[in-house]
Amino acid sequence: MIQIQNLRKRYGKMEALKGLSLEIDKGTVFGFVGPNGAGKSTTMSILATLLEPTSGRAYVGGYEVTKHPKEVRKLIGYMPDFFGVYDNLTAEEYLDFYGANYDIPAAERKQIIPQLLELVNLTHKRDAFVDSLSRGMKQRLGLARSLVHNPEVLILDEPASGLDPRARIELREILKELRDMGKTIIISSHILPELAEMCDVIGIVEEGNLVAFGRVDEIYSKMQEQRVLRVRLLDRVDEAMTRLREMPVITKVTREGNWVVAGFTGNDEEQVELLRELAVSGYPVAAFNEAVGDLEEIFLEITKGVGS
Amino acid sequence: MSDLRRFRNPVLFNEWKMRMRTNRSPWIILLYLLILGAMTLTLIFFMTNGGNYYNPNDTRELFMMLSVFQLGMICFVVPGLTAGVISGERERQTLSVLLTTNVSATRLILGKWLASLSFMTFLVITTIPLYAIVFLYGGISPAQVIKVFGFYVITMFGIGSIGVLMSTLIKRTGIATVVTYAVVFGYAIGSSILAEIIKEFIRYQRRSGGMSSATMPEWPDFLHNLNPLFAMLNIFDEGPQTRLGNVDPYAVYCLFFGIITLICLLFSIYLIQPVKPRFRKVKEEQ
Repeated sequence: MIQIQNLRKRYGKMEALKGLSLEIDKGTVFGFVGPNGAGKSTTMSILATLLEPTSGRAYVGGYEVTKHPKEVRKLIGYMPDFFGVYDNLTAEEYLDFYGANYDIPAAERKQIIPQLLELVNLTHKRDAFVDSLSRGMKQRLGLARSLVHNPEVLILDEPASGLDPRARIELREILKELRDMGKTIIISSHILPELAEMCDVIGIVEEGNLVAFGRVDEIYSKMQEQRVLRVRLLDRVDEAMTRLREMPVITKVTREGNWVVAGFTGNDEEQVELLRELAVSGYPVAAFNEAVGDLEEIFLEITKGVGS
Repeated sequence: MSDLRRFRNPVLFNEWKMRMRTNRSPWIILLYLLILGAMTLTLIFFMTNGGNYYNPNDTRELFMMLSVFQLGMICFVVPGLTAGVISGERERQTLSVLLTTNVSATRLILGKWLASLSFMTFLVITTIPLYAIVFLYGGISPAQVIKVFGFYVITMFGIGSIGVLMSTLIKRTGIATVVTYAVVFGYAIGSSILAEIIKEFIRYQRRSGGMSSATMPEWPDFLHNLNPLFAMLNIFDEGPQTRLGNVDPYAVYCLFFGIITLICLLFSIYLIQPVKPRFRKVKEEQ
């Protein structure tokens, strides 16, 4: 359904995308993870025909986004990370306006809008002015707006940002329903673990590069293969890093102040051995632990610096 | 039916709906009428010298003054109405979503432009009773009234399109509004000053070349025809009047502002498209 081939985007000297390539099948729920400035929103804006890539190609439903933007727009429903609403309209009028923008006849709009409001649990707010809605409600209304023309693909840029836990749960439930309806969904989020159960495929992007891509279960098993150890030293941090790099169970070593963060592929016994060796070698180890984080945090830890 | 649907503009209808829902709109109408009404009534008062007698021959002058006031108001209000139409959408973060819908750049720009101008037209229509007071005394031909209102419309189109272009070019509404005012008033004053500078330059060249400056070319005066104030005075056979052959100065003004409108709107339509049309590439592919 979506193909991205060697996509590059440059803003002046800054390269936001450095040859990103990926493919998303029809009906897939794709989770796009990465820190701020990694290139997620840029990729989504290109797919939404709002931005021209510097080079490379992106296809939605077989149409290239820069050559056939009109056709692509009919296929996609886009919800940006920040979006405004028209405060002087009611929730129903807001959806009606966008329905009219998609050339949906008035009679058809009258049928669709109540269904959409029901889907996003806003039926009771049908006649409420948009400015009176809470942030979570506005977000849900935005989601309903992106569905007004029944698109095949949904591009949702950070839909859960700024929402309280309850609103996040409500949003997740709606997304599950959309997944069941067979929509292809691209969703970027910083709270991927919350959405992981509904994402079929996850892509991790950092500094414009796709550093990990695969099914959620594959990524979980990859995570179990590699753990992250954190060691705090009072002194001789660089020496300790050199020593750790020599060890076969260590994959990657980075420094955060006095903390050394290392990718570890060994088992518990090897972990004990590693700590013993550091202590015997005389390194002043003040703290030693295994990073406990969520899916996204650990992944970002593993992939830190890959793009540079 | 499908042909009719092509001309339906949801942006235009939405703008109308939203504009008339704000508390600001009735206040703008009230203020506009108060200012123009106060000016008209003050003029009538001074023309009658506070007495009961009114010379019908003065009607023409009063009508002319009222028309010039109205033109001034149009020049003042239209930039404010149009310079925020696109930048406002951008600031409100609604533009990107709008651009991913089926609404074409042409429909979006025309919808915004027409919505603002229709409100201005509505303001002008509300002043008709003021014209009726003046009309009551006679001395004005219906053709002149039609010409004046036609002049308003074409001027609104031109200034409005400049406002829309600035709003598309400049991200911040405040800056876009200031630039639009600067362009409009710069043009209104500058076109006549430019005519005088050119005339003075030609006069100087002729003097230094030993030529007589008695037979000056007329074309610099032609610039006055493109100036909104002088073009309006031309309708009443006042102000500097220059004809090129048999061409009516009113027609020249309409044509010039029509071209400005077209250029500004086409440029706005091009600029607002996130993915620019690739004429050359399409040609290459063919």
